[in-house]
Amino acid sequence: MINNFLQAAIIINILGSMISIATPILFAAMGELVAERSGVMNMGLEGTMLTAAFVGFMVVEKTGSLFFGICFASMAGGFVSLILAVMTISLGVDQIITGLTLNLLASGGTLFWFRMDYSQTSLEKTPLIEFLKSINIPFLSDIPYLGKIIFSHNLLTYLAFLLVPIFWFFLYKTSYGLRIRSLGENPKVADMTGLSVNKNRYIAVVIGGLMAGLGGAFVSIGSVERFFPNMTAGKGWLAIVIVIAGNWRPSRILLATLIFAFLDAFQLQVQSIGVHFPYQILLALPYIAAIIILISGRAHSEAPESLGISYQRE
Amino acid sequence: MFKQLRFKIEKRKHVSSLVQLISLSAAIILSVLITGLLMYVGKVNIGAGFIALFDGAFGSWKACVETLLKATPLILTGLATVIAFRARIWNIGQESQLYFGAIMAYLAYTQFIFLPPIILIPIIILFAIIGGAICGFIPAMIKAKFAVDEIITTIMMNYIVTYFLSLLLSTVWKDPNHYYEQSPTILEKFRFPILLENNRLHLGFILAIIATVIIFLLISKTPLGYEIKAMGLNPIAAKFKGINLIKTMVIVMMISGALSGLAGAGELFGVIFRLKSTISLGYGYTGIIIAMLAGLEPLAVVPVAILFGGLLNGSFLLQTTTNIPSSLVYVIQAIVLLFFLSARAISNYRLRIVANDQ
Repeated sequence: MINNFLQAAIIINILGSMISIATPILFAAMGELVAERSGVMNMGLEGTMLTAAFVGFMVVEKTGSLFFGICFASMAGGFVSLILAVMTISLGVDQIITGLTLNLLASGGTLFWFRMDYSQTSLEKTPLIEFLKSINIPFLSDIPYLGKIIFSHNLLTYLAFLLVPIFWFFLYKTSYGLRIRSLGENPKVADMTGLSVNKNRYIAVVIGGLMAGLGGAFVSIGSVERFFPNMTAGKGWLAIVIVIAGNWRPSRILLATLIFAFLDAFQLQVQSIGVHFPYQILLALPYIAAIIILISGRAHSEAPESLGISYQRE
Repeated sequence: MFKQLRFKIEKRKHVSSLVQLISLSAAIILSVLITGLLMYVGKVNIGAGFIALFDGAFGSWKACVETLLKATPLILTGLATVIAFRARIWNIGQESQLYFGAIMAYLAYTQFIFLPPIILIPIIILFAIIGGAICGFIPAMIKAKFAVDEIITTIMMNYIVTYFLSLLLSTVWKDPNHYYEQSPTILEKFRFPILLENNRLHLGFILAIIATVIIFLLISKTPLGYEIKAMGLNPIAAKFKGINLIKTMVIVMMISGALSGLAGAGELFGVIFRLKSTISLGYGYTGIIIAMLAGLEPLAVVPVAILFGGLLNGSFLLQTTTNIPSSLVYVIQAIVLLFFLSARAISNYRLRIVANDQ
């Protein structure tokens, strides 16, 4: 009897934390989907999220307002991706190299700024903030099991999951979404029909950055009370993997995100109940899974035809 | 009839190496300005800050030698990037290859510790090279067999190897006398020999220079080098010329990995003397920046790496004399690259005044 209770509690815990672990990756992956559908691969996603996580933390720490924190984090994400857009779309610098450069800049920049502001304090004594509290949705959160798993998260989590159908609708059911997708498939044709390739690619990339910014906000002010250097820990890269694994489709991206998040939630639970198993292997699991998923998912790729190629009129 | 004049931006047919050099200079000047700005923000006297930065880098004979020491792994990871990027293979896994080289080198050390140093040290070097090459081989094979992009797999490898190292250091190779995850210290007789009296510059520097010459000759004089360049310029044309793209890709990834692996052994047996997770201060990523700034030319990697080695040491002195955190160096590195890429891209175009036909 007690055993059953315990098992149920563990399963609820794993599934509940799966939903919150999925949040930042889902934001970033949905944003990246829009950018990639327009033909631009944002390889700077990791740095974009990290910058946003840091900006969000700083703003909350200085102003005490979570609302401002989330707004500024998202804008910071948009700003970083704007740099990427200028370099790749306007200047035609290689998308991969630009992305890498921005990652290095973000990782160095946030570390530097963080140390500069808190150089007198040791890592253990860095300032703490009030992070975003979860909201139990009335009635729904009282549903046994499901209520705890799905309806007691913070605002950003609800938003992230809400964005999946919204982005699907935007990309597939609106004329604007069709335009963005046409840019990724054949920018030349889009150009000939009078669509400004570069302008619309800018918009798509910046939307992606704003989303990655929300993801970054969740990593810092959405889930913990402090900031760690490089705290996004590869979530941006995982989001890129997930877009590929999800075959550039919103519903599959959601599924892929949940699988990754489940793995991560599972390993956290295994660690916390003290099963004797080398935790490093569990920590490496999402990254190993990423490679395996990529290997198995390449057969029928629906990657945009012109992904990664900058467009120049002849 | 007057023709209206207007500006036209057009792409240059040929980018001279002078343009490349001007771009680099412009990038450096802009980065110096930004560095000054950051010092100003950090409330440090800018003049004193730059003097500290320079003193730490090249201010004395000792500082210069220390700079060469810091440049050693950077030359190797820079070369590792050059050979891969030249073939348009996006190996971002230098960090994992460096660590796996160090892991294999340490394995050789623990297994053959009964051998005399004169035999064991070459074996250690060989194992480091093999280790790095294995770590390059895995993503290469995944790409060859399953057409999975090497960018993602090499980055995933960086995370996986980090956890693998942590696993080793918390179990089989843990120093029982220490709380931290690190191996026992390397016995003195098995450390890389020192090149100069009273300094720390070790055998690894010579190896890095030899590697530079080899990679230079390999790219410019051998058939493999020709294939690498052809692949980088136009993979489809290269295929029609009869180049086996997959084979070349696998070989390049293994050479690239081997170079980073060697860097790992140099740091482990020449500087740190313990296997731990802080052997590399992001040398793999810095190598990518260095290679880009060197215009993917092997010989240019050495001076750029020395400059960056100096920057690292300079930033340490800056941290001790002022309260500017040494992580400033990562900001500078990335900004130099960002400006360099932009400047080079802009100089690809030129402004011309043309008559408007309308």
